[in-house]
Amino acid sequence: MVVRKFEEELKYMEKLNPYCWKIKKGFQPNMNVEGVFYVNSTLEKLMLDELKNACRPGMTGGFLPGVKQIANVAALPGIVGKSIGLPDVHSGYGFAIGNMAAFDMNDPNSVVSPGGVGFDINCGVRLLRTNLFENDVAPVKEQLAQSLFDHIPVGVGSKGIIPMNARDLEEALEMGMDWSLREGYVWAEDKEHCEEYGRMLNADPNKVSFRAKKRGLPQLGTLGAGNHYAEIQVVDEIYDKWAACKMGIEEKGQVCVMIHSGSRGFGHQVATDALVQMEKAMSRDKIETNDRQLACARINSQEGQDYLKSMAAAANFAWVNRSSMTFLTRQAFAKQFQTTPDDLDMHVIYDVSHNIAKVEEHVVDGKLKTLLVHRKGSTRAFPPNHPLIPVDYQLTGQPVLIGGTMGTCSYVLTGTEQGMIETYGSTCHGAGRALSRAKSRRNLDYTDVLAKLEEMGISIRVASPKLVMEEAPESYKNVTDVVNTCHSAGISKKCIKLRPIAVIKG
Amino acid sequence: MAGGDGTEVFSEEELKLPPCKYEYLDHTADVQLHAWGDSLKEAFEQCGIAMYGYMTELETVEIKQSAIIEAEGHDLESLLYKFLDELLFLFSCEPYLICSKVTITEFKTDGEELRIKCKCYGEEFTLGKHPQGTEVKAITYSAMQIINEPEKGKCEVFVIIDI
Repeated sequence: MVVRKFEEELKYMEKLNPYCWKIKKGFQPNMNVEGVFYVNSTLEKLMLDELKNACRPGMTGGFLPGVKQIANVAALPGIVGKSIGLPDVHSGYGFAIGNMAAFDMNDPNSVVSPGGVGFDINCGVRLLRTNLFENDVAPVKEQLAQSLFDHIPVGVGSKGIIPMNARDLEEALEMGMDWSLREGYVWAEDKEHCEEYGRMLNADPNKVSFRAKKRGLPQLGTLGAGNHYAEIQVVDEIYDKWAACKMGIEEKGQVCVMIHSGSRGFGHQVATDALVQMEKAMSRDKIETNDRQLACARINSQEGQDYLKSMAAAANFAWVNRSSMTFLTRQAFAKQFQTTPDDLDMHVIYDVSHNIAKVEEHVVDGKLKTLLVHRKGSTRAFPPNHPLIPVDYQLTGQPVLIGGTMGTCSYVLTGTEQGMIETYGSTCHGAGRALSRAKSRRNLDYTDVLAKLEEMGISIRVASPKLVMEEAPESYKNVTDVVNTCHSAGISKKCIKLRPIAVIKG
Repeated sequence: MAGGDGTEVFSEEELKLPPCKYEYLDHTADVQLHAWGDSLKEAFEQCGIAMYGYMTELETVEIKQSAIIEAEGHDLESLLYKFLDELLFLFSCEPYLICSKVTITEFKTDGEELRIKCKCYGEEFTLGKHPQGTEVKAITYSAMQIINEPEKGKCEVFVIIDI
């Protein structure tokens, strides 16, 4: 990494408008394109503080700030347009979290990078609606939270309860949600409301290592830990009545369930294996990157193709995983209210993927191009009339689900034409961390955090008390700042605000 | 060595836990492990324990079984990466081993192929017995640093793990 004084570093950055900064070439070596990031004044401070902290020449330890990572991505071969940081951007590994970048499929030098997808392949958010209202749920809130916690395996070392053997896994990897549908875990219409209809067709389980399958098998149908959660939420605000109506959200107080999870150990291992493979390909093809974690391979190389096929299998795993938890959630609700999920109108509003790479068509400098779009901690947000979004949302634009943090709020946005042009139809994915996990553990007390949640009327079931501190709202950026920045910058549009009343976490 | 009832028997030396030579450093999204030792081998071992320490409270882990892992790499960084990945794999599926001690028995850090052989001591992770800490998704190369200066008494590693 180039280390200069903070004042020197600032010369490479320029504020384009109140919501957008440019990172000029030269900020990091070999940048092919410029970088850009979207922030408001509050988020801007966090971003620049992260950089300031890293400007200490000669120190050991330390890590790369998000702005440097955005610039490193801009140095990857075949990148087109810009390396883009969304408002929740912060330091990750390889790519920043909240970073998207597109590569020209027709340029033989273009690369695919597992670091641009992340270890949790197809981590994403699913939102279910119900026809219940807050006052229906309030009297049984504790029981319902407990029931969800009992139904869904959470936390480190928990194992799935959906019966599954090695052959089932192979089929699930190939079929994605079609497998869940065949086995009776989801409804046919759930698929309609998923990106890619819950199945990536290029998935090839034969390209996946035995290790990944072994790691994935016991974890299918588990929530995981870290920032993953299942929340019972109520509609707190409706900004776009018409679009909300299309999603089956009629008025304030309506109860929804949000599930945030990914491909579990399966995806983590697929990414780990790919990283090792690609290191070899890089030395063979003489590809140089600024950061070892940005290991990549040419899209058309064997390693590149193998990764895309195994990544697709991991994406399918994640959809089956979220579908299994959808099933468990529907069961928990049906038991509590002694009715059927159908009568509770528990439809999937939408399911988004925020760690993924996809082949998409976009207009670059006036020309239609086929691009490999990497979104890491970034959500696809396609505008109205886009052919790849379901018929129900053709006029509203794609619903974009933004999971907040424990005890704050979540949002539903819709995609816009401006976002399609400026950010290749991408927007933020969540709040984004502000405090480090270690700092949260030191500075916060878990009983305080729990007491505060109780005060706000939020029931919580959590497997690990330490996680409560790490995941406390104070550890994150304000999700409202993030969403408002997306809205003001025009890259997506606010539709619904949701407030949690019960949280299930690892 | 197997005991009469099929459980493993360990020597006193094997049951002795090493001192703690690691810490968790600040990182915005994830956790940075910082481990050190008198030799690079010790720093690697400590780094492994540091990772297990993030998953549960190590005081609750008894040494009841062991496993042997092997890792290879083409440089020190890839060796450390593979080593930690193997340890994570031990935990993530059969035998679901959580370890309070790892002893590297072979540590070859010169030549083309670098190699580690390591004996890992612990027991099967059991909900109810072992408090659930945080799940480690993967090891990363991000800002990985290995300082190998035993003559100056400076053997340290820095690794960011994805949470």
